[in-house]
Amino acid sequence: MAKKDKHEVRDPIHVFVRLDTDERKVLDSPELQRLRNIHQLALTYLVYPGATHRRFEHSLGVMELATRVFDVITAPPIHDKIRDIIPNKDKRSYWRRVLRMAALCHDLGHLPFSHAAETELLPEGWDHERLTKEIIRSDEMKSQTWELLEVPVKIEDIVKVALGPKGSKELIFNEWETILSEIITGDTFGVDRMDYLLRDSLHAGVAYGKFDHYRLIDTLRILPKGGGEDDSDEPTLGLDYGGVQSAEALLWARYFMFSQVYCHPVRRIYDIHLKDFLQKWLENRKFSTETKDHLEMTDIEVLAALREANSDTKHPGHIHAKRIIKRGHFKLLYSRNPNDQDINPNAAVAIYEAACKEYGPDFVRSDEYRQKGGSQYFPVLCKDGRVLQSVDLSDTLLKVPVVVSDFVFIDRKLQPKALKWLEENRNKIITSKEEIEE
Amino acid sequence: MKRLQRSAVILSLVEELLQRDSWCGETHIQKATYFLQELLRVPLGFDFILYKHGPFSFDLSDELMAMRADNMVQLKSRPPYGPSIIPGPNSERLKQLFPITLQKYKERVEFVAKELGSFGVADLERTATALYVTLKDTTLGDDKIEERALLINKLKPHISIENARLSLENGKEIREKAKSLVGIG
Repeated sequence: MAKKDKHEVRDPIHVFVRLDTDERKVLDSPELQRLRNIHQLALTYLVYPGATHRRFEHSLGVMELATRVFDVITAPPIHDKIRDIIPNKDKRSYWRRVLRMAALCHDLGHLPFSHAAETELLPEGWDHERLTKEIIRSDEMKSQTWELLEVPVKIEDIVKVALGPKGSKELIFNEWETILSEIITGDTFGVDRMDYLLRDSLHAGVAYGKFDHYRLIDTLRILPKGGGEDDSDEPTLGLDYGGVQSAEALLWARYFMFSQVYCHPVRRIYDIHLKDFLQKWLENRKFSTETKDHLEMTDIEVLAALREANSDTKHPGHIHAKRIIKRGHFKLLYSRNPNDQDINPNAAVAIYEAACKEYGPDFVRSDEYRQKGGSQYFPVLCKDGRVLQSVDLSDTLLKVPVVVSDFVFIDRKLQPKALKWLEENRNKIITSKEEIEE
Repeated sequence: MKRLQRSAVILSLVEELLQRDSWCGETHIQKATYFLQELLRVPLGFDFILYKHGPFSFDLSDELMAMRADNMVQLKSRPPYGPSIIPGPNSERLKQLFPITLQKYKERVEFVAKELGSFGVADLERTATALYVTLKDTTLGDDKIEERALLINKLKPHISIENARLSLENGKEIREKAKSLVGIG
């Protein structure tokens, strides 16, 4: 019987994700298989019990959506000012393969529990993007995956498309490579974001992250930035007019998912407790950046260590492990609000510092999140052939709020007392005349 | 520079650009900030790469988003070039926190706004890319306009060689004028 050269994987979002044999080799590599043991949403499952999905299935989803986008934007009609950047049929076929493999590989460098505290848990100059690059370029992946492909691809092309200019600042991108990377990592229409919103929403059991991605993808186009006469002709991902409402839905979905799920205070404090534990447990308080060590370090190893530390009162990370395993997380003392912001833009920092003085730094934690990306402006191809700016055509895009959160947490035993203390001292703390200029 | 201190400098740049009738969209602020940091040596600490319409900083883009969240700036729709960024309700409060910093960089901010305030996006893209290419490759002397124009056209094919040449000439003039302000010869 002939060897099967088409493979399919069932997926709760995209139903079937299909791969050829070369792509299957990438999927079966130890580097990709490691992602089966990296939770997409860290310890969010302690708040939303269904959110136990992993980076592995997300990577498959990103590959599926990236392909759909590629097929739409390279098919007619192509805007006149863009025609020159689309490669010929053979090269298109090559880049489609690169895009699919880059999509599979884009998250290889994530730390256990997809931990976001990379500046504290990795040596200076490292982040998950750099780790991803190192893994894709590693001798192991080269000899055991890339060199075994029947149709070869250039490793550097995969790096560029997987990480984009933001993750590969040292590389120079041409316009076509920029567009391809934008398909995966793009600020507005990147499929990384589309897939995680849909997938996280499904698994967390909340409806906020849903939007009509079928319609959105069908209306994507490569367009010049557009606008007025003296505007740039640089190509970027934009939309046909008919897709504006699905783009609005995407950006609102993003806002709701961040404000309701990703910035849920209990999820955030569990992340902090996990970071505190990891810093006690890891050698030199950091993860190793050696590819071999990285591949051996997954959520399984961390969970085993957490359980061990929880039952060993002499373990240096005991107290932090116990807060996670026994659900004894710190509780909310303060969260950002507009009134305090008007008085002091650094109100949360002032309250955190005052609480540390009052109760000791071991019993207080702070957390800050500021939205990154998610721009509402993109070009739109109107029915009369003009290219206009999204925000000039939509009543709602400019109204999508920026996601921002500031929290101060306190040991749960101290919370009742600390809440009273804060009520009595809040105004004094945030109106402090302390000089902040150097 | 601390985050809010940096935000105050950006806010002052926004105000100056608006005073010079700039459209003051994100692209305008990105390119003007690039000039302010790289040419006028204001230590803002942004990491610029060649990306959207020339030099672009993802950190600056995030910073503008954070400033919107803190009501220091806000968006105003102004067809046909997309939204302008204008001071928000908390802008005065921010400026009150950093009078020394704002005074220190006032002249440089005014210089950038004066030189770039009247530019549209395409002009800004060409001029900022010309400066980026010039500062990145110091091995080419100032007289190597032709080589640099070819390089700009290679990096950004939608910028013609002729337009690249004009932008390099223009950029050279701006650099000359900036020298007295930052004390370089």
